[in-house]
Amino acid sequence: MRGSLRKENRHIFSHIVLLLWTFVVLFPIWVLVINSFKTRLTIYENPFWIPKTWEFSNYTTVLRDGDFFTYFKNSFFVVSISLVLVTLLASLAGYALARYKSRIGTIIYYFFIAGMMIPIKIASIKLLEIMRALGLLNTIYALPPIYVAMGLPVGVFILTTFIRELPEDLYEAAIIDGASSGKIYSMIILPLIRPALATTAIYNLIPFWNDLWFPLIFINNERHKTLLLGVTRLFGQYQTDWSKVLAVLTLSAIPVLVLYLAMSSQFIKGVTAGSVKG
Amino acid sequence: MRIKHSRHFPWLLYLAPALLVYTVFMAFPLIDSLRLSLFSGNNQVTRVFVGLDNFKRLFTDPEISTRYWGAFFNTWKFFFVHFIVQNGLGIFFAVLLTQETMKGRQIYQTIIFIPTTFAVLITGYLWKLMLNPVWAGDFLVSIGLPFLKHPYLGDTNTALWAVSLVSCWQWLGIPTMMFVAALRNINVELLEAARLEGAGSVKTFWYIKLPLIKPIVGIVAVLTFVNNFNAFDIVFAMENVNGAPEYSTDLIGTLFYRYGIAGQHPIGIPDAGLGAAIATITFLLLMVLVIPTLRQTQRGA
Amino acid sequence: MKRLHVLLPMLLLLCVLLPVSAQGNKAEISDEVVLTMGSWRTDDVEQMNRLLNAYKKLAPKVTIKFQPTNPPDYNATLRLQLDSGTGPDLMYARSYAAGQELYNAGYFADCTDIPGLMENFSASNLAPWQMSDGTMFAVPFAAVSHAVYYNKDIFKKEGLSIPENWEAFLSLCDTLEKKGYTPLANGLADEWDILETFFFGLLPNYIGGADMRVKYESGELPLNDRNFVEAYQAMADVAQYCPDGFESVTYNDSQVLFNSQKAVMFVDGSWTAGVYKDAPFDWGLFAIPAPKGKSTAICFHPDMAITMNTATKYPEEARAFLAWLCSEEGATTASQNLPSGYFPMIKFPIKLEDPHANEFLSLNAGRKTDARFVWPKLMNLYAPMNQAVIKVMKGDISAKQAADSVQALM
Repeated sequence: MRGSLRKENRHIFSHIVLLLWTFVVLFPIWVLVINSFKTRLTIYENPFWIPKTWEFSNYTTVLRDGDFFTYFKNSFFVVSISLVLVTLLASLAGYALARYKSRIGTIIYYFFIAGMMIPIKIASIKLLEIMRALGLLNTIYALPPIYVAMGLPVGVFILTTFIRELPEDLYEAAIIDGASSGKIYSMIILPLIRPALATTAIYNLIPFWNDLWFPLIFINNERHKTLLLGVTRLFGQYQTDWSKVLAVLTLSAIPVLVLYLAMSSQFIKGVTAGSVKG
Repeated sequence: MRIKHSRHFPWLLYLAPALLVYTVFMAFPLIDSLRLSLFSGNNQVTRVFVGLDNFKRLFTDPEISTRYWGAFFNTWKFFFVHFIVQNGLGIFFAVLLTQETMKGRQIYQTIIFIPTTFAVLITGYLWKLMLNPVWAGDFLVSIGLPFLKHPYLGDTNTALWAVSLVSCWQWLGIPTMMFVAALRNINVELLEAARLEGAGSVKTFWYIKLPLIKPIVGIVAVLTFVNNFNAFDIVFAMENVNGAPEYSTDLIGTLFYRYGIAGQHPIGIPDAGLGAAIATITFLLLMVLVIPTLRQTQRGA
Repeated sequence: MKRLHVLLPMLLLLCVLLPVSAQGNKAEISDEVVLTMGSWRTDDVEQMNRLLNAYKKLAPKVTIKFQPTNPPDYNATLRLQLDSGTGPDLMYARSYAAGQELYNAGYFADCTDIPGLMENFSASNLAPWQMSDGTMFAVPFAAVSHAVYYNKDIFKKEGLSIPENWEAFLSLCDTLEKKGYTPLANGLADEWDILETFFFGLLPNYIGGADMRVKYESGELPLNDRNFVEAYQAMADVAQYCPDGFESVTYNDSQVLFNSQKAVMFVDGSWTAGVYKDAPFDWGLFAIPAPKGKSTAICFHPDMAITMNTATKYPEEARAFLAWLCSEEGATTASQNLPSGYFPMIKFPIKLEDPHANEFLSLNAGRKTDARFVWPKLMNLYAPMNQAVIKVMKGDISAKQAADSVQALM
């Protein structure tokens, strides 16, 4: 009796704390959304309250603008394919590095990790040259290889660590049964590392979707621009129409949130499956 | 005993795709660019080998070294705020969220994650608006908090802390997510046993949960550290590339951008060699600190 | 594995839905030529497209695409593209050192022999885009000016008139403040604006025009002489009339403050004139007044020029376009399509339609003009001077200390 009462109290405290934080998160979002329904100047009349007149033109201009649909499709394509590739390649590499202990393995592992330490921006010139040589410049296809390369260090890091944690008996049974490494990978490992895959995907989702730099230097062709790059069209040298920018970026946050929700449910499924193990 | 896979475990095959993409599109260009730190000049035509001259300039030229050390210490402050606030809150929220019978975990977690999905431009704009006394002043007065009215982003004493806290607000979702996963992975029986022994929640956390999630704490610390030392976007969105006001928000990331990529406004003539030198030093520093941290916290390494 | 089975078909479907062509910007037909023009003026897409379409009527086989880049990233992006050989055929060139450097790097073409260039521009207008040996590396396109925007309605209401000198200006601000207004909209947050529009705007009042500037550049006169100290002091004096919390006021905020009549005056560049086009109040301009005993000078700054890439595949067509800009006809068309607040630099008298633009130009009458002080030769002092102005306005250092800090770096 006493135990359950205490648990109830703890939860009240937890809810209070979390609700406070919810407010801290939702208030700026409130500011974001209401201001996207104002005009450039009326935002400042009362930045924290609902608009006097609801200005829908920011959204309608964007939605009617065919260009923005193209930008959106491009971003979606680039990010999806990059995420799939990075999780796939990282998990394959992680499997190899976690299971094959050797000096070379450790060196390769640190080779990957080193990639986390430097901003890939500094390699921009070389990357431009490489893309030009491959004939991919000015197309969205120039982006996935870079993003995958960018996401691999963290991916390998997370997945190697995670796969290392998997218990030995998993493999014993399979090897006794004569399973090849490929079968072990796809039948046993892959389902169990779902949380790690989801973590890698979620972690990389944000920088891939919100990246401005590489689309900026690689792509000039309107039809290949990504969403954030397209948005910068709204930024003038001396003046910017922030109400439009807010509208566009509110819209662009939605798919990211949807992708996050989709992946985090994978994540949860995997976690609960894993915790049942002995 | 670790079972050695049979000799025909084609580990090279598994590694190859990742290794290939990584080497061609990241390692090779980066190493080539780091090589630039030994040269001066901005392109094929004007490039000249100068040995360690760029490094010498970085540390001895009065203007450059002042800027470098300024950025260096600012970045450490930036990191400490993240470590304590972002990761501390991350663990705290994760613990709250993973209590048995706690309701609404999914919802809260999603809410915590929403700021992470925003483009940094948006976060910067929103917080710039809210922290600006000219626009927020009336609002603060109307809700009875006039003493909060202050030019936070224009005051050299408060700017860095303000920017750091906003950055924590934005990225909190990721450590929370990782800690939740780690905590949920803890064997339920262990926690049952602890409860039967009469351990309160704090004791359980300190002696059981925390040690078991040490690897994740290590990973999160490393990721935070690396990200902070390369941070650029948030300062760019909330202040400017110079780390206004008066360089108080200048980080290594912005310093590097100024010297190595864009050049000082408005001339825009970068010094690629110097930029590469900064990147090399940062890289070495990170390697030196990260590898031991990883060794310390990862089990079965 | 299941996930992949779902995702792969989805991606394949997406591939089908996306019409994608590799290698944009290839010439479609053998005769038709497409040139790209890079710029930092994302604001001018409409105007530039009009201009380029007008050109297309004269040269139907040549299409020029205006592809501006996000302004803060322009320098970095342009460099990267030039360094890797993927730069645009035509591009905007910044004046003085920034442009010279790109010429020295071999990216900007020698424009000296473009017909009409040397003849149709005055020497002082050519100078910003000229190397020390006289080689031109770009065709001057537009200049900007700086002045005090003021709210005519409020002035009328309070019975105020344009101040004759700096002292009168300060007392005008004082009057406004006592009546409860915010006199000036300027702030410090973005850093560049207070320096480029305000400080450099009033500096010619204290040190004189171009002929005096060269004396400072050569070191004949120190950068902490009385004139400079007075200039810094002027900035310090005006700080109290800026909004409360002006340390956080960004350039965007300043525009809004003026536009919503929360501030009465705003020291700004001519490029903002278009923003207030539909302002619900009457506004005008006056030059930043010089102190008693000195004559008011204007900072009329050559800002944009257009040049061609040495690596362009179509040098003839690019050159032809630049030559058109140097002709009377081309320059007139260009001026009609210049954004509000940008002024043509060519010799021919061109009438602008915008009344405020003409108001700006009229400020130059009978006054000395000069470019922004550090642009020609002292760009390395930009950042230190910027910091000095900011500190002096915050009250952290005195005007003398500010001037000394900059002189120390000479």
